[in-house]
Amino acid sequence: MDFLIHGFGQVLEPFNLAVILIGVLVGVMVGALPGLSSPMAVALLIPFTLTLDAVPAVAMLAALYCAGTFGGSITAILINAPGAPPAVATAFDGYPMAKRGEAGRALGMATVASVTGGVFSLTVFLLATPLLARLALQFRPQEYFALTLFALSMLASISGRSSIRNLIAGAIGILLGTVGVHLVSGVERFTFGIAELTDGIHFVPVLIGLFAMSELLAQSSTASLAYERVTSIVIKLPSKADFLKVRWTLLRSSCIGTFIGILPAEGSTVAAIIGYNEARRFSKDKAEFGKGAIEGIAGPEAANNAATGGAMVPTLALGIPGSATTAVILAALVAHGVRPGPRLLSDTPEFVYVIFAAMLIANLMFFAIGLGGAKVFSRITLVPRTLLWPAVFVFSMVGAYSAASSISDVWIMLIAGLVGFVMQRHGFGAAPLVMGLILGRLVEESLSQSMIIFDNNWLRFFESPICLLFFLLTLLGLFWSPLIAALQRLGARRRVPDATR
Amino acid sequence: MRPAASWVHGPDLVLALVVLAACGVLYYVTTTFDAVSPLFADNLPPSWFPRLMLWSIAVLALALPFEHLFVAGGRKRLDEDRTDRVKPITLATAGALLIVVLAVELVGMALASVLVSALLPLLWGERRYKVLVPFAILFPAAVTALFSRVLKIYFEPGLFGFWFG
Repeated sequence: MDFLIHGFGQVLEPFNLAVILIGVLVGVMVGALPGLSSPMAVALLIPFTLTLDAVPAVAMLAALYCAGTFGGSITAILINAPGAPPAVATAFDGYPMAKRGEAGRALGMATVASVTGGVFSLTVFLLATPLLARLALQFRPQEYFALTLFALSMLASISGRSSIRNLIAGAIGILLGTVGVHLVSGVERFTFGIAELTDGIHFVPVLIGLFAMSELLAQSSTASLAYERVTSIVIKLPSKADFLKVRWTLLRSSCIGTFIGILPAEGSTVAAIIGYNEARRFSKDKAEFGKGAIEGIAGPEAANNAATGGAMVPTLALGIPGSATTAVILAALVAHGVRPGPRLLSDTPEFVYVIFAAMLIANLMFFAIGLGGAKVFSRITLVPRTLLWPAVFVFSMVGAYSAASSISDVWIMLIAGLVGFVMQRHGFGAAPLVMGLILGRLVEESLSQSMIIFDNNWLRFFESPICLLFFLLTLLGLFWSPLIAALQRLGARRRVPDATR
Repeated sequence: MRPAASWVHGPDLVLALVVLAACGVLYYVTTTFDAVSPLFADNLPPSWFPRLMLWSIAVLALALPFEHLFVAGGRKRLDEDRTDRVKPITLATAGALLIVVLAVELVGMALASVLVSALLPLLWGERRYKVLVPFAILFPAAVTALFSRVLKIYFEPGLFGFWFG
């Protein structure tokens, strides 16, 4: 309790509040702009936060994460172009409502649902993180290796079209993590005689390149595109009847979102889609869905925002990111010298409560912004893309340089962007690569320690029940989706001859 | 019986070969790592973990040409993002970014930022000069001022540093 009060005390300092407000404003703007994403915004802000103390830096990024998820709903409702992937399902019913003159009601419901989901998941976050961390505190290097292996296996199910490609991207990320001097032996690996690589590849330029540069290249062919907009917006709170109608949807979606968020490597988008489907399944007016059902907004919005708090649980308690944005936040924490994982709560417990307080305040801030400023934020889409993306590049270039005051980092950013663009075209996701890059060193470190403990005897990994459990879960993580897909295809093939017969 | 061609997906076969070739080259690089001092001989050698990753990538890459057989949506889904050829404007953009990053060392960060703020919009067809000119000057100036004055980041001044340092 003392730490909680201490956390709130720190966050409520005027400077930290101002920083959280900046995080919320940037988050809502980025979330509202189709093409710009939360991971990209967090990656771009890391160089800026490196000059701040760890507390305001982490508070700012956590606030941006919450607000970015909500911001996507503004453009999803007003222009049928979800600003962020988690808002895709919101557009199904939000845009039809806006077209029939109920944009304000839709935005009001999106705001209320987002705040409800966010606050619900933060409560779970507050309760679950210490418990999970206490459990994980008993882990030895071998259990930690097995856990990290399980987290990496979850890469297979991260967004994207193929589990194999996600795993390859993750392995490439781990391989990138081996660049530089080997900590145990002092041998240089993959440095190719370049002095700047002896310290390894910094996260920041890679993150900026993968999330911002590759997207810039992808957007370059549609730079002159303009959106059709709904112009008349009167923001109002949903009515009492609306609240009564969606109360169970809000609760259900908050639970779904929090649970999905806690699962390593699952994110807000999956939560939003499940939240929408479940809202439809339990609704009395199923036929209304897709035509402007208020539950069709409450379901996905509560779920996608609940996933943000949920995703923070494995990120902080185990050091395993729950989504692409938390992977980038994890990198930011590491850059600030904070090591997420079981020891976070025992060594620097204030951070957990600072993040909780910052996210809670961010939720309250975007509640005010959502109800009062949605109309203003919707105008952000009027900024021509021909100017927006060059601005992103300037920020990226300066940000990549400033992380270590090194031109070579600008080159790394550009190369990461070009490689990311090619990878994206061939179905390889950026998020698995980032997770691999962040977790890679941890895997190698824990594996080396385990092998020393085991006197190089592999079989001793199987003496630990926790290791065995994680290895089993790893196998499930790797083969579950292909197995289900193969079974579905087999089932479909069998049904065709049956039908013809 | 299905023809052999339907089992192997052409674009992914090429992709797999590229990945395997890259793995081969990097594997060779691991053989050139310096020898480890006998003090650390009991630990895993520095080449062990990268090689494990390279083997993992190579094994996974072998499955790429056949992946369409067990992915929902098959070839169509895997080819979604690569059916359109890379547009000339994208290649021109990549070229422009390359030139700008090359220019950073020569002209410094501030001027390179002005250069990209003017070059990219012009390349993408922006011709509203009343908007473009103030943007190309004021935005980079604001960003570099934020980082250099407020956040105290030192930028190499470049050739024209005596003007813009």
